[in-house]
Amino acid sequence: MGPPPIVTGVSPKEGPPGTRVTVRGEFLGKTPQDLCGLTICGCDCLLSAEWKSPNKIIARSGPGKGKGEILVTTRSGGRGTCTVEFRGYHEMIGPMKETAVWVEEAPLRKMWWGRRGLTPTTYQHDDPLGISIEGVEQKFPEEGLHKLFPGGSGDLSSENFAAGWFLLERHHATPFDDLRAGLAFLRRKVDGQKEGQLSFIKSNVGSVMEQMDTLAQLKERFEEDVEKQGQDPTVRLEGAIKESMLEANKLFEDVLTRRERADATRSALAVLQRFRFLFGLPGAIEKNIKKGDYDAVINDYARVINLFGNTDVPVFKKVLAEVELRIAQLRKLLHHRLEEAPTSLEAQKKLIRNLVHLEEGGDPAWDAISCHSRHLTTTMIHCRDTNLAQEQAALEEGGKTPKSSKQKSTSSSNQNSDWQTSVPARVLLTEELADAISERFPDFWKLGQAYFTGELQVKVVPGRQQDFKKLVLASISLFSGLLRAALMPHTLVRTPAAERASYGVWHSRGMEGLGPWLPHCVRALRHAYSSLIRLDLPSEALDIVAGLIFDLRVHCMSTLLKQAGESIRNLHTQESWNIQFDGEHGGITHLPAECERVVAEALQLAKDSVLLSEQRETLLLDPDVVQRDLNNLIQNMLLGFVEVLDKLALGSDAIAGESPGVSQMIGSPAIFQVRGSDSVLDKGRGKDKESGPAWEQRLLCVLSNIEYTRSILLPRIADLFARYQLPAQTGPLAAVKKALTELDQRVLDAYLEQRSDPLVGTIEPSMYIGNFNWHTALKPMDVRPYVKELLTNLISVHAEVHSISPGLVWRVLPQLVETVAEELARLMVCLDKKFNVHGTQQACADIAAIREAVTVYSTPTAEAFFEEALEAIPRLSDVQGKRNVEDVLNNFRSRMRLQLLCFRDPKTPSTKSV
Amino acid sequence: MKKPNTQPALHKVIMVGSGGVGKSALTLQFMYDEFVEDYEPTKADSYRKRVVLDGEEVQIDILDTAGQEDYAAIRDNYFRSGEGFLCVFSITEDDSFQATQEFRDQILRVKNDENIPFLLVGNKSDLDEKRKVSVFESCSRAATWGVPYVETSAKTRSNVDKVFYDLMREIRSRKIEDNKPGNSRGKDKSKRKKLKCVIL
Repeated sequence: MGPPPIVTGVSPKEGPPGTRVTVRGEFLGKTPQDLCGLTICGCDCLLSAEWKSPNKIIARSGPGKGKGEILVTTRSGGRGTCTVEFRGYHEMIGPMKETAVWVEEAPLRKMWWGRRGLTPTTYQHDDPLGISIEGVEQKFPEEGLHKLFPGGSGDLSSENFAAGWFLLERHHATPFDDLRAGLAFLRRKVDGQKEGQLSFIKSNVGSVMEQMDTLAQLKERFEEDVEKQGQDPTVRLEGAIKESMLEANKLFEDVLTRRERADATRSALAVLQRFRFLFGLPGAIEKNIKKGDYDAVINDYARVINLFGNTDVPVFKKVLAEVELRIAQLRKLLHHRLEEAPTSLEAQKKLIRNLVHLEEGGDPAWDAISCHSRHLTTTMIHCRDTNLAQEQAALEEGGKTPKSSKQKSTSSSNQNSDWQTSVPARVLLTEELADAISERFPDFWKLGQAYFTGELQVKVVPGRQQDFKKLVLASISLFSGLLRAALMPHTLVRTPAAERASYGVWHSRGMEGLGPWLPHCVRALRHAYSSLIRLDLPSEALDIVAGLIFDLRVHCMSTLLKQAGESIRNLHTQESWNIQFDGEHGGITHLPAECERVVAEALQLAKDSVLLSEQRETLLLDPDVVQRDLNNLIQNMLLGFVEVLDKLALGSDAIAGESPGVSQMIGSPAIFQVRGSDSVLDKGRGKDKESGPAWEQRLLCVLSNIEYTRSILLPRIADLFARYQLPAQTGPLAAVKKALTELDQRVLDAYLEQRSDPLVGTIEPSMYIGNFNWHTALKPMDVRPYVKELLTNLISVHAEVHSISPGLVWRVLPQLVETVAEELARLMVCLDKKFNVHGTQQACADIAAIREAVTVYSTPTAEAFFEEALEAIPRLSDVQGKRNVEDVLNNFRSRMRLQLLCFRDPKTPSTKSV
Repeated sequence: MKKPNTQPALHKVIMVGSGGVGKSALTLQFMYDEFVEDYEPTKADSYRKRVVLDGEEVQIDILDTAGQEDYAAIRDNYFRSGEGFLCVFSITEDDSFQATQEFRDQILRVKNDENIPFLLVGNKSDLDEKRKVSVFESCSRAATWGVPYVETSAKTRSNVDKVFYDLMREIRSRKIEDNKPGNSRGKDKSKRKKLKCVIL
């Protein structure tokens, strides 16, 4: 790429269009071919550009006006720049302007194109004095001029031209010397003109000579012609023209006659052709009918009627009659086909059009419509009947329930064991009906639309609109009714019995097992509905279907929730008592999780198919009634779980389980038994259900589950509802919570009763084991064994509870401690102060030991009982006795250290027992 | 040649003188180092290029005017925009030398300034054998006007650059002087103008 061109000089720097401009600069192209663009004042001048050297181009300016750049573009250097300007202006011919050629005012520019130098002063100047009037800011006031030169004018071409006015107006600021120079200029010009035409001709001698020459030539030619042709040169021409006309006529006469003859022959042939067409028509019609080409038949028929319709010739009439006969047959055929099983919409429209063209009487279009409607109805009724029959058969044959996929194995005797048998007949009916509606109905509706919009070229009989609407509504409501009868008979309770019967009566038993299929039905219905919506049906018709869908959705929802409730109620059979620990809530079984899963599944299913509204459907939960029903259902469902827990804890078969109890002596600690059975459970669960955990443990599990359900599961379920955009179910949830709390209390009581009875019962026998007597007691060396047994038993309960749910320890042990304290108080009061000294010391030590051991779980009530027990014992007065008690206690503390550790509050370890 | 952001100073030079004395030839020689043999009367040509004047880059704008009497009336317009003048005559033609007085007067009238940058240029110095105007004559006229006199030859390029550069230097120093505060020349000018208005 070379350097870009730069224009640094222009000669001249201004001029009218067509001025020959010398452009100078640098890098203006290496060769003429290198130059590929030249604009002057924005006008492309490349055409006239003449490349001279890399420094010089000569071109003619274009029609641009005003100042502008000269830009050169070369292949080697691209688009260039410019440091000078060219000014284009349009020259005007004024009164002071001489011109040798005729100036046409309008296309002035063209006249001047390329003509230069015709006058000595091509440089146009407005001012007759030749003085520039640039820069005159101040104008002489016009009123003053009027005053000075009344009736005058500054216009040069005016009759009233006043030189003073002109000078003041144009040159009142011009210096005197300038005016003098102007005068000299004007004088020169006038002199030039005074020289006469001579100077003008001199400057334009070229053109004048040319004109003279042309005139001379013209004259010469003309004279020559006159010489040759005589005075009147047109006579011979006229003669020649006449002669050639005659000759032409002669030439073409022959051709013309031949053409006439050909025309005649052709028309004769056409007539013959027409006759042949007529006679061949009956055969042709038959052939075309066979081929099914009705359009051809109709065309032929129309043609023949057109040609021979008014004929009087007997032969023709005879043939025509035959044709009419064929056509009548065709009409019948077409009509029959129209009423046959529905063909496609287009085919039907075509048939109708054909019939209309055949000028069939009656109203084929309407016939087609009503036929279509009839067919729709029959299809639906047929669907109902077949499926009804099928279900009936299934009911009779399969016994209890209409087949569902689960029952397949049991009803293997069923002959049609294909897939269809696994689907309830009602569901099949729904599918078939939905298909029928979405396939057939659009055709029916479109046919109707075509009929009323005049697309079928039929006159619409007044009143038909209403009839059509009735037909539409009838078929839609039949559709809805059939489905209601099959899926939701309860919604038809209010319809008249006769109408109800027409929708088919389904056996109530058939309803069972339908639940899981309902969402499927909703989907099928929705599909049909959407195809109806697309048809732009009247809203009355759509509302029927919308109502049906809404009811079905509600029904489906409630069925789903009922099902969920049932499966939750059945959960107790699935309890495996397999305890899983999680950090915060102690041990729970998988039951709550199962419950949550069931609820979530039900909601998911409901959401997928039922809850979301599609186009033109009402929100499911809008009506209050639905909302209330839904609340009840949810409450029922969740209460189901409470019932399950109740059944598991307090049900009759639960209590029947053998209880290992805690009423063993030290030698056979209950712990081992419990642990043992637990380990058996861990290893051999599932093999032997009966060897499940002891009832007490079950109670504890249930307690733990209840707690979990209350604090974790219910909020989670509430979350679920929120996630599925169901309204907050505060009512049902509160009710469930209440039920749970009650159950919790009952279960706890049952457990406490179960545990405390044997515990307390063992105290008295153990106290007097080995014929111990408080008034014959020896000096106490240690606490009595019954104390140790009691503590061990308490430890085992603690262990049991802790193993399932540490949280429960705090609810269970204080209660137990209270009962123990009460029993102790009772026993001590019963003794009626029959203690010897040692007995007193022993009793004091025992009670203090027990009290100290359970201090963490003690309650005010328990403390009161301990006090009561102490008061029942004679007061320990001597120092020796107190020291003895202290010794015993110290002994107890050191010996039972391990056991005592069990009672320490795990959270705030006390130093007391150490 | 890209334009820098700040345009270099622009000096406007006008070529005046009778027809055929070689104004265009001088200009073209200066601009493009070429000598044009064939004569074609100029109407008004415009040239502009960058030159380095005493180490400073400036732009010179040359207006090459018509020498013919036909265009005398429009000269005023051109003169008004000029900042410096090269008044050219041919040393082989006495008429052209005499005409310089007329041009000088017209310039002074239009510019209204005695000290306008101005060079008297005697062209065609290569044709010394045909000399009609003596160096003494020319020098004395230049002295009267208070301007330099230079003899040039567009054909041999003798002194061509010198006249343009000398003139540009004068224009430049003149501009610097004008920009000085306290210079009363501008005032004088307006006063004189007013005076004339009064006379009219």
